[in-house]
Amino acid sequence: MNIITLAARNVYRNGHRSVVTAAAMAFACAMMIVFASLIEGFVKGSEQNIVAMNSGDIQIHRPGYRDDPDIYSLMIDSADLCNRIRQAGFATSERIFAFGLLASGQSSSGVQLRGLDLDFEPTVTLLNRQVMLGDWLDKTDHHGVVIGKKLARLLDVSLGDELVFVGQTADGYMANDTFYVRGIMRTVSSAIDNAGVLMSKSMLRELIALPEGAHELVVMRTDSMMNLELASQKIKALIRSDLEILNWRQLMPIISRFIETAHVQTLIMMLFTYIAVASVVLNAMLMSVFERIHEFGIMKAIGVRPWQIVRLVYAETFIMTIVASVIGALLGSGITWYLQNHGIDMSSLAEGISFSGIALDPVWYASLSSESVLTPVIFLFVIAAIAVIYPAIKVAVIHPVDAVHHH
Amino acid sequence: MKQAIVELHNLSKIYQQGEVQVKAVDNVSLTIAKGDFAALCGPSGSGKTSILNLIGGLDTATSGQVWLEGIDLESMGNTQLAEVRKNRIGFVFQSYNLIPVMTAFENAAFVLDLQGIAKQEIQQRVMQTLAQVGLTGLEHRRPDEMSGGQQQRVAIARAIVTEPAIVLADEPTANVDSHTAESLLDLMQTLNQQQGITFLFSTHDQHVIDRARRIIQVQDGQVVSDEIRP
Repeated sequence: MNIITLAARNVYRNGHRSVVTAAAMAFACAMMIVFASLIEGFVKGSEQNIVAMNSGDIQIHRPGYRDDPDIYSLMIDSADLCNRIRQAGFATSERIFAFGLLASGQSSSGVQLRGLDLDFEPTVTLLNRQVMLGDWLDKTDHHGVVIGKKLARLLDVSLGDELVFVGQTADGYMANDTFYVRGIMRTVSSAIDNAGVLMSKSMLRELIALPEGAHELVVMRTDSMMNLELASQKIKALIRSDLEILNWRQLMPIISRFIETAHVQTLIMMLFTYIAVASVVLNAMLMSVFERIHEFGIMKAIGVRPWQIVRLVYAETFIMTIVASVIGALLGSGITWYLQNHGIDMSSLAEGISFSGIALDPVWYASLSSESVLTPVIFLFVIAAIAVIYPAIKVAVIHPVDAVHHH
Repeated sequence: MKQAIVELHNLSKIYQQGEVQVKAVDNVSLTIAKGDFAALCGPSGSGKTSILNLIGGLDTATSGQVWLEGIDLESMGNTQLAEVRKNRIGFVFQSYNLIPVMTAFENAAFVLDLQGIAKQEIQQRVMQTLAQVGLTGLEHRRPDEMSGGQQQRVAIARAIVTEPAIVLADEPTANVDSHTAESLLDLMQTLNQQQGITFLFSTHDQHVIDRARRIIQVQDGQVVSDEIRP
């Protein structure tokens, strides 16, 4: 009789205990798959929100612009830069910014006007798909703007309402104009939400008398497999050395670090959960081994070597772990599949969830991947193997005469 | 003169029980010859099981030597002793001590499997041995599906199927009724007489003592008499 058959019969022999132990392992495995998938989903969602809704992969500015967004801190040759970047196989778009006061009726608020290139902005971000009410910008509409949700609430405006802007032109005069609310954005970032007024680049150029140049170039990789660092290096090689080129990880280091450490957090969480599982396995195997001391003694007496006893105890544990991991993986994958498609709606807990200024989708989706399934399963095997060391060695080293006469 | 299977030279075993030292085996010298049907007799605690454990390599002596077929067991490590037990010694215990998840066939085949013998040969030898012990037709039964006598027959089959140098039987009839005890003794006596299998019993059962051809009386860890019957 081979060791696997013998181990399987021993597992089956105390069915109730084996079921309870395997169920505890399966439940922990399933929960860890769900947890790992939710973290994976959070990481992917965050990355998507940062890159696709805000920063793009890479941004180019004049040095110091991010700390002091001066209207004169322009890249005058931005059109030429864009052409070179596009020829190198990247997508890029120019942005210009201005600050001022926006009023409607009795309400007013400080705002940031964002002039977007309506032809190229959709190639670098998905902002055009984030309109909650009304429509996205249109080149033929010379007075329609899209504003942030909270700004709309602050100014108490809705679609079609008139807005009055007062600011400064690049040549030192007063800039003023009237617009109407064409669309209202859903939350993508706190900056857009609280003070963002989106309009076409040409409209803003005319308003602030800025005929050429851009404050910001946003670049996206067209090949998503290309390494972000490599992409940054390629862009650097294309443009002047006096410009500041930062990828999104450098632009948002706190979020980047959080994302980088999310997997470590998952592993730590897994470790703590599995320590509890290990105690269940240890307890079950100790009981299983100690109530069979006499039987192991007989096996030793008839010639079974200590190492073969260790193999038997390990085989019993691994049979339970295999069953538990299959059930746990199926259960965890099933729950994760549901959460991947339906998510967990957090909007009832908080209206707008943001992290470091970046809005997060209020529906938290899981992301099912081979890694999020395999890591908890592998961890389960490792923990079970560690937990059973003591009972296996204990029974392997017991003196045959003591074991034979043990009752 | 018969060939010696087991030789004990000045064998002693002292157990430490708290502060007290208990001399379970006290300077025993003994020879068991090939084909013996011998019984170590004596009251409970006289040291007969301790002698059996030392001969079987289940325990190690405090002093003295145990030679099995010319091999000094006291100089061996655990793994080597396991090999000797597997290949050269058959055990029959008081409480049958079969592996409960195995059938009669599997229990008897277990040691042959450990020895790495081919499946076909195992099948042939086990079926033949089960027939010898009168268990034909019961090979697929598990221990809990058999009577005490049948279980002990499986234990005997397991002990002899490897053709060991000696079968050590510790109180083999203690847990069965007298009728079953007689039939088990008939079986072991037949195996001894027809196949020359050496048996050494540890017992205080009169049925066994009556059948044994050699009676070794043990008292306070010492051999007090060694009588060979004609």
